[in-house]
Amino acid sequence: MLNKVPAATAIFWTIKIMATTVGETGADYLAVHVGLGTALTGAIMAALLIAVLAVQFSADRHRPWLYWLAVVLISIVGTQITDALTDGLEVSLYVSTAAFTVLLALTFGAWYATERTLSIHSIVTTRREAFYWTIILLTFALGTASGDLATEALGLGFEVGVIVFSAMIAAVYVAYRLGANAVLTLWLAYILTRPLGASLGDLLSQARPYGGLGLGTIATSAVFLTVIVLLVATLTLGERRMTARAD
Amino acid sequence: MTLRTIVSACLVAGAAMMASPGLPGLVGSTMQAAAAAATLGDLSNFRKIVVDTQALVEKGDLATAKTRIKDLETSWDEAEPSLKPRAASDWHVVDKAIDRALAALRASSPTVADCKASLAELLTKMDAASAAS
Repeated sequence: MLNKVPAATAIFWTIKIMATTVGETGADYLAVHVGLGTALTGAIMAALLIAVLAVQFSADRHRPWLYWLAVVLISIVGTQITDALTDGLEVSLYVSTAAFTVLLALTFGAWYATERTLSIHSIVTTRREAFYWTIILLTFALGTASGDLATEALGLGFEVGVIVFSAMIAAVYVAYRLGANAVLTLWLAYILTRPLGASLGDLLSQARPYGGLGLGTIATSAVFLTVIVLLVATLTLGERRMTARAD
Repeated sequence: MTLRTIVSACLVAGAAMMASPGLPGLVGSTMQAAAAAATLGDLSNFRKIVVDTQALVEKGDLATAKTRIKDLETSWDEAEPSLKPRAASDWHVVDKAIDRALAALRASSPTVADCKASLAELLTKMDAASAAS
């Protein structure tokens, strides 16, 4: 089996942040505008995610559209899980942030204990793939909870949020360039892109009187989805060309 | 790298994440100070929907009132990212009051008395949360 997941390139991070925004605004849109309610919306998205992950697991190699479809759906479901805990079960954001952190550490621990590596460059077995996607789901849930906690506890709005989370990601990048552990910095950045993507989405979608650009959730999601589709199409074409050359 | 260093690195990272909202200490503390005195600001657009709904309930037109208050649910949810950071606890108080008003109007057999009471309470909560401090 070839590596089933992409390397962390600039395009990777661009799509990841946009997928995060679409996850946040998409989850809101489905719950509020489509009027299906949070429970039914959550069930539909979870079912879709399971179906897409089943296809991703059975694929013989990395397919960008499949991978990124799974990430967008995980982004929506990860957000819905945290929202359900916070709004439905009234779990404190301090508790959910701590719980997701512990779960994430335990999953990394189990991953390392069985595979002796946490590298994303060798997701070549179904078991490693299972660890990988579990981690991805947990980073989205943790990113949502810690981002919401920043809003609740510190009054961190999206305008400051964009700056703060960008600065934190920049700090992680500098640490990586200075020789900090590549695996650790990758996953830290992965968690931080969740609140960054949410703040960015809010900045575009929120009304002008509130300091946003006033695009609304529908236009913002549509713009980001379009960019995601274009970038994924570029990746797919690039891969075809490479495969053709290899043949 | 041993398993223990990885797990402890993750825990440290996790702890850093939890503390992270305060990472830029200066920004954090000034914002907290602001949040303590802050209110939700201008809620007049939302207030107007509640007043409209009240008028419809007064007329006994609960069906139209139910439609009108849907506008409040939608616009309130849309503005959440902007309003909640201003004063999260005030936001939750108003949010809960909106939920109660929605529940009263959407009851399988809604009563004018319940709708009136929940809307009046909502208006009180809204005014308290938007009052200049």
